[in-house]
Amino acid sequence: MHPGLVPVPLLATSLPDAITFAVSAVIVIAGAIGVVVARNPVHSALMLVMTLFGVAVLFVEQRADFLAAVQVIVYAGAIVVLFLFVIMLLGVDRREAVSADPLPWQRPLALVLSFCALGSVLALGFSGAWSTGAASVTGALPHRAGDTAALGKVVFTTYLLPFEVTAALLVIAVVAAVLLVRVPQLREQGGQAGAERGGAAGLEGDPEAVSDPGVDGDPQGLGERDREVVPS
Amino acid sequence: MLHAAYLMPLFPLAGFAVLAVFGRKIGNPLAGWLATGTVTASFAIALVTLAGMIGEPASHRSFVETLFTWIPVSALHVQVGFLIDPLSLVMVLFVTGVSAVIHWYSIGYMAHDEGYARFFVYLNLFVASMLILVMASNLVFTFVGWEGVGLCSYFLIAFWYDRPAAASAGKKAFIMNRVGDAGFLLAMFVLFNALHTLSIPAILAHLGDLSTGTATAAALLLFLAATGKSAQIPLFTWLPDAMEGPTPVSALIHAATMVTAGVYLMVRMSPLLHRATDVSEVIAIVGVATALVAATIASTQNDIKKVIAYSTVSQIGYMFLAVGVGAYTAAIFLMVAHAFYKSLLFLSAGSVIHGLHDEQDIKKMGGLRKFMPWTFAAFMAGWLAIAGVPPLSAFWAKGAVLVHAFSYDIGLWIVGAITAVFTAYYMGREFYIVFYGDERWRRLEVIKGDPHESPWVMRGPLVILSVLAAIGGLLDLPFHPHLDFLSSWLAPVVGSVSRHSSVGVGGEWALAITDSVLAVIGVTLAWRLWRVTADARHLEPAFLQRAWLVDETYDKIFARGGEALAGFLANVVEAKIIDGAVNGTASGLRWMGSGLRRIQTGYVRNYAIGIVLGLVAILAWMLVRAGV
Amino acid sequence: MSLFFLSALVLPKIAWSAILPELILLAAPLVLLAVSALSARRLPTGVYAGGMGAAGLASLGASVWLWTQVTPHGAGTAVDGAIAVDGFSVLVMILVSSVVVLAALIGEGYLRREGIGGPEYYVLAMFSAAGAMLMASADDLVLIFLGLEIMSIALYVLAGLDARRQGSGEAAMKYFLLGAFSSAIFLYGIALVYGATGSTNLPQIADFLAHNVASSDGLLLAGMALLLVGFFFKIAAVPFHMWTPDVYQGSPTPVTGFMAAVAKAGGFAALLRVFFASFGLLRDDWQPVIWLVAVVTLLVGAVLALVQRDVKRMLAYSSINHAGFILVGLEAATTRGIAASLYYLFVYGFMVVGTFAVVTVIARRGDEAHDLGSYRGLAQRQPFLAAMLALLLLAQAGVPLTTGFLAKLYIISAAVEAHSYALAVIAMVSAAIAAFFYLRVVVLMYAGAKSGVGLPAPLAATGAGEGAGSGELSPVAAYGPGAASAAELEGDRPEASRPDGAGGGEGHGEPDAAGVPATIALAIALCAGFTLLFGIWAQPVVELARQATLLFH
Repeated sequence: MHPGLVPVPLLATSLPDAITFAVSAVIVIAGAIGVVVARNPVHSALMLVMTLFGVAVLFVEQRADFLAAVQVIVYAGAIVVLFLFVIMLLGVDRREAVSADPLPWQRPLALVLSFCALGSVLALGFSGAWSTGAASVTGALPHRAGDTAALGKVVFTTYLLPFEVTAALLVIAVVAAVLLVRVPQLREQGGQAGAERGGAAGLEGDPEAVSDPGVDGDPQGLGERDREVVPS
Repeated sequence: MLHAAYLMPLFPLAGFAVLAVFGRKIGNPLAGWLATGTVTASFAIALVTLAGMIGEPASHRSFVETLFTWIPVSALHVQVGFLIDPLSLVMVLFVTGVSAVIHWYSIGYMAHDEGYARFFVYLNLFVASMLILVMASNLVFTFVGWEGVGLCSYFLIAFWYDRPAAASAGKKAFIMNRVGDAGFLLAMFVLFNALHTLSIPAILAHLGDLSTGTATAAALLLFLAATGKSAQIPLFTWLPDAMEGPTPVSALIHAATMVTAGVYLMVRMSPLLHRATDVSEVIAIVGVATALVAATIASTQNDIKKVIAYSTVSQIGYMFLAVGVGAYTAAIFLMVAHAFYKSLLFLSAGSVIHGLHDEQDIKKMGGLRKFMPWTFAAFMAGWLAIAGVPPLSAFWAKGAVLVHAFSYDIGLWIVGAITAVFTAYYMGREFYIVFYGDERWRRLEVIKGDPHESPWVMRGPLVILSVLAAIGGLLDLPFHPHLDFLSSWLAPVVGSVSRHSSVGVGGEWALAITDSVLAVIGVTLAWRLWRVTADARHLEPAFLQRAWLVDETYDKIFARGGEALAGFLANVVEAKIIDGAVNGTASGLRWMGSGLRRIQTGYVRNYAIGIVLGLVAILAWMLVRAGV
Repeated sequence: MSLFFLSALVLPKIAWSAILPELILLAAPLVLLAVSALSARRLPTGVYAGGMGAAGLASLGASVWLWTQVTPHGAGTAVDGAIAVDGFSVLVMILVSSVVVLAALIGEGYLRREGIGGPEYYVLAMFSAAGAMLMASADDLVLIFLGLEIMSIALYVLAGLDARRQGSGEAAMKYFLLGAFSSAIFLYGIALVYGATGSTNLPQIADFLAHNVASSDGLLLAGMALLLVGFFFKIAAVPFHMWTPDVYQGSPTPVTGFMAAVAKAGGFAALLRVFFASFGLLRDDWQPVIWLVAVVTLLVGAVLALVQRDVKRMLAYSSINHAGFILVGLEAATTRGIAASLYYLFVYGFMVVGTFAVVTVIARRGDEAHDLGSYRGLAQRQPFLAAMLALLLLAQAGVPLTTGFLAKLYIISAAVEAHSYALAVIAMVSAAIAAFFYLRVVVLMYAGAKSGVGLPAPLAATGAGEGAGSGELSPVAAYGPGAASAAELEGDRPEASRPDGAGGGEGHGEPDAAGVPATIALAIALCAGFTLLFGIWAQPVVELARQATLLFH
């Protein structure tokens, strides 16, 4: 079925390769954490550039030169620059109002669970072995002529339809952008009972607090509201 | 032969749909005529089918018309189809025929009611459901009709929902019918479990595969269902209360058709009764006991409709007696004849009520024969018919039942004969109180002026039903083998399981004469007590007092007892046990729900943690599978 | 060297007809956008609705035509194996196309009432539907992912359509963040599966698994786990469901109905295909996961729905409960089970779209009146709506003579045949619990303002024995089912057709004056008619679902 399969241990490469991988992996992960942690959006954007560069190095290491180039030119070059423009336009100084975390157990739990998930995936990944002896059946590309031609080939054969269909995503993005930036004409107050509610809403609002508890519409006394209001 | 049975329920169903949507627009009286028209069309199709069937040899008179498969899931193949055979055709004919006449009558009776269109919506739906009930080829489909007629019945009992009595009567009917329905459902489970089919012809064909115990259980459960629907002991008290509904409803649903569905079910499944042990005896005893008990109660009631209602219970008791003694043809014969004279009585009573502006207390009536000659004549025809005066219909029908009862067990016959006397008496009592004697309504100022005779649209049906009640006996005459039309007609269906009377021609003559004598005794008693003495009531106060005592006693023993049972069912079983269980479970679940909802904080990060939690759990399982 | 590749490049033959429904639904929004951009003045929303309805009908026609092609010729693949043309995918296409038509009708009434112009709703809904179709017909994990993204991203935006209501934006944001999170997990799963099997193509994966024995296929198991998480999120299975109530509640109501039908259709179609067809051999690995998730989903969905006072939240939990039922069919992992799931999915689409259409109307202008109190005595004010909602809710509760009953019966009998007795019992228990909250709404509508004396629920008498004891209501107000008086439908036209009610003064006046826009009424009637007609005349749809699984690729 797959005659070209060769058992490839994870670090069965030369030492320089291993070192390059380790360094760029650290850069990628540090950059990703930085994007989330940084308070200043410009810093976040720059951290993102760092991550993308790291990924580009990883691509190069795997001889995916074309992808590496695209990564640098399109993502680092074009997209992040666009991000930066937007951030600058909106104002750099605007800082997020980060109040105290209402759920103190959230972060440690998230950390523990994330490590559990990561550990399980890794453990599973290392545990597996096919009858070929390989953990993974995808070896190196059959032709070592560079990835550009190979990529071009699959994009126009195997992945022709997925490739074309991606265009729809771009159209959706455009429509979404138009829809989201359009300034909403807020509804007039009055008449509607619910018009003045919704103070607690927003990204992290309490959904239970959004609805109106006033009306007694229950024949059997069901569903007495025992909502808890979470400060946000 | 016409293979278009589906048209019969389809017409009233279409009428229902049209009236439900456009009823208020169509309005009064066109909506009523439309409803009448649909039922008449069904009747016409039934007649055409009959004509076709008569042309066929007896062995080819049964066919199943399968429309489509309703539930095609695994082993449970429920087909929507109609079983047309002599039995179901007889039912269809009299159901559509009587329904058409009563629809017609209702046009006049309901003319001034706000819910005119709504009334015909329910009525048409009822006819469609009833036709599905009698023609269904599958027990599940039968059950659809069974529930459908029940539903219409509750809707119509509570038609005047602003009367508390109407609402509570609907409730009572609902509860008692649920008990019976549970029996029906359980019977279906039992039969499906044993035979893996619910098709009626298939069940009847494979009865041999049933163990006697299973057959007995299924038959008893079906009988329980029948007692609920047909108001037999112990589930009979809902029927008199159901008289809160409009009178045409009482005539159609609570006298002629729906309440006899239980009898039909028993006859339809008669081979099953044959296979079971002792169930027939149970049915016969319950039937005859109900007949007597209800007749005694009827003798003491003062509500013009309740007398007839108890009388209905009593007459259906006769029908079950017939089923119990294996006289299935006689049961159907009595059912048809009863449909004629009982709806006649109800419609006449309705005419009286109409004329007296909704007064129902017979003690406030009297001397009405002068003002309502047509109604008077119709009521008299009905009375004499039900009393069993020869040669009117009940004489033949009830006679046939009693002959078979006599041949089966003389004890059953004796009780049946006593009931016959009561029957002639209570109906005569009502007749004389209402139509003779003082014009008490004048003194009590029930109405201003004189009562008026009903319009032609109501008198027409009375005339038709009077004729039918009189000559209904022609359907099945004894004495000569060429005259028993109904028996030979139904022979392909029930002939093999019917018991034949061992009385002989001479015995039949003797019993017929006895019946006539009993009828005359009852009539005379009524005449003596309520025509002759009513004018001189003070002459026999002691007897009247005793009569009232009897009334109270029966009231205490039966009506109150029944009410207590109903109350027990409603307040203890329904409210405490069932509701308690339901509410207890509900509050437990609610408590669980409010606990669980605490997880739902509204924070996206919490939700993400939920996702990761699930991910970790699945990965952990995969780790186990991978053997790490 | 590159010349060598070019000469060797054989472009795949594209069977246009095989992807015709998707193409229609991808092309139509572009046309609408172009029309909108090129027209000098704002076009009325009805123009776009007409376009979307036409596109939906066209894709419905194309799907039906595909069905007639698949039935005699059997299943096949198209576009170099990226697309599976089989009964399964075509059935989902038929469902999604129908939902598109219904969404056009409902959206027209809604947008007109709310005074929201522009083609965005229609464009996004059609894209989303095309994404769901791609998920159903994709024979390649990459295409499934793209379909999922097309479907989801359009839905995220649709959820935020009503920019004037904060809840809408909140819903969009929550849905987007969590959706992106789960998509990332899903994508990681694809990568791992690719790593383990060397292909993203489903038949090739199945082929590889059939010919290779793993001593311990850890990588593949990890990949499956991650894929499952992605699917479970989309179909709102517990514990990946937590976005559902918030998003369902916050989204504009027509969008909620569309979302419930389309996202479930796409998600389940791909889930069933991937796990039944490709990972069928690894059944022992994933079946217990499905079992547990189904149980939790069934119970949590039913129990939490009980305590909701907001109808949309209640229906959100009810949709979670339904997802549990469909999972039961997958857990059976038999052809009959898959057919049952497919049937459930199909009829559920109509039920839920119809239900949310009624909720849309009852919510009135502003889309805010979702408290149970708004439903009290509805039968008196709006007999048509009340009767339709009662029918649809009873169908969801699984009352006989509706498609909902048959769906539950089918699922449970499939589970019993697969010897999953415990699961069948749990499913029935959850159905009994669920019947409770559906009947509660029905009782509320018919009990009305009148309290005190009443009849036992006559509707309960038709077969829902569970609720019979506790529900007291009188059958007074309506004629019964189908009490749509034509006057009501017509009488509402003036209000419904008021162009662009930006002023919106009396739009939300007395509850009794709230009208039923004709388009929404038509959609509701279609959904209710489907539910009732094929609940009584069940054979065609059951047969369709059965054949669809026989024609499984």
